Amino acid sequence: MLPYVGRALSNLFRKPATERFPKTDAPEPAKNYRGRLSYDPTKCINCGQCIRVCAPQAMTRTIEDVDSETQKITFTFDMTSCTYCGLCADFCSQHTITMSNDYMIVGTKPEDFMVTGSFLKKKPVAPKFTPEQIAAMKAAAAKKKAEADAAKAAKAGE
Amino acid sequence: MFQKMIDDSMKRSPWIFHINAGSCNGCDIELVSVLTPRYDAERFGFRLTGSPRQADIVVVSGPITLQSRDRMIRTLAQVPEPFCVVSLGSCPRSGNVFKGSYAIDGPLEKWTHVDVSVGGCTPKPEAIIAALAKASAILEEKRKAMRQADKADKEKRS
Repeated sequence: MLPYVGRALSNLFRKPATERFPKTDAPEPAKNYRGRLSYDPTKCINCGQCIRVCAPQAMTRTIEDVDSETQKITFTFDMTSCTYCGLCADFCSQHTITMSNDYMIVGTKPEDFMVTGSFLKKKPVAPKFTPEQIAAMKAAAAKKKAEADAAKAAKAGE
Repeated sequence: MFQKMIDDSMKRSPWIFHINAGSCNGCDIELVSVLTPRYDAERFGFRLTGSPRQADIVVVSGPITLQSRDRMIRTLAQVPEPFCVVSLGSCPRSGNVFKGSYAIDGPLEKWTHVDVSVGGCTPKPEAIIAALAKASAILEEKRKAMRQADKADKEKRS
């Protein structure tokens, strides 16, 4: 009987077990919690590995040409499509994608759930050849084709 | 006069009805945990009802499977106006990992209006509480608009 009385009395002066959340700030989640992902476009190299490993296909990539040499690459991550598995962050070789511990993913519009980032990238330089080199390559290709045709004809004749 | 009293008291007791449209049960457990003593959403008047006819806020979880689609629509039709729809987790908005499956017919926006969405897989109870608070604010505005429309209609007739 006595221990119960002690517990009852101590409960009278204890803090309530209920979290006072809306009145205070949202409490910190557990360590290594995977919340809204954060994307740093300055480090991204556009390898596309995150798009490959994403099961719910939460990211979209758009590539626009700014001029003849540079491209604008935009990544959009849809946080209402994400499973928060963290595979994209694990596979990101440049540590561009990280899972933050922000779990307040609440909104009324689809834009509230988008994480976007864009960066400019130089296009790979197309190989340049002189007209003589091109003519030589064409001649080599034609010769190879003629040889193949001849071999085929010989085989058909047998 | 009584109308105002009723509206004021309804503001403090938005009742929740939960529809499971093929959810994996993760979001359902989190929604129930919101009502437990630790998070205690009942101190704001949120209460889980067993009937859609008594509901003010409808919480939908799951990627809208073909089996649950018609039942969900039938249940939503029974909720009295004005009501708010909260989509819980990533599934109702996008289908999550089930995106493109033959067995789902989402997103939820296709079938009803969605006022507040919570991202996460599964969302934390704090995020759900924030979403429910937002939904009840939207509900209040909707009710106000409805009353004004009613008043204007009455004046027009008399």
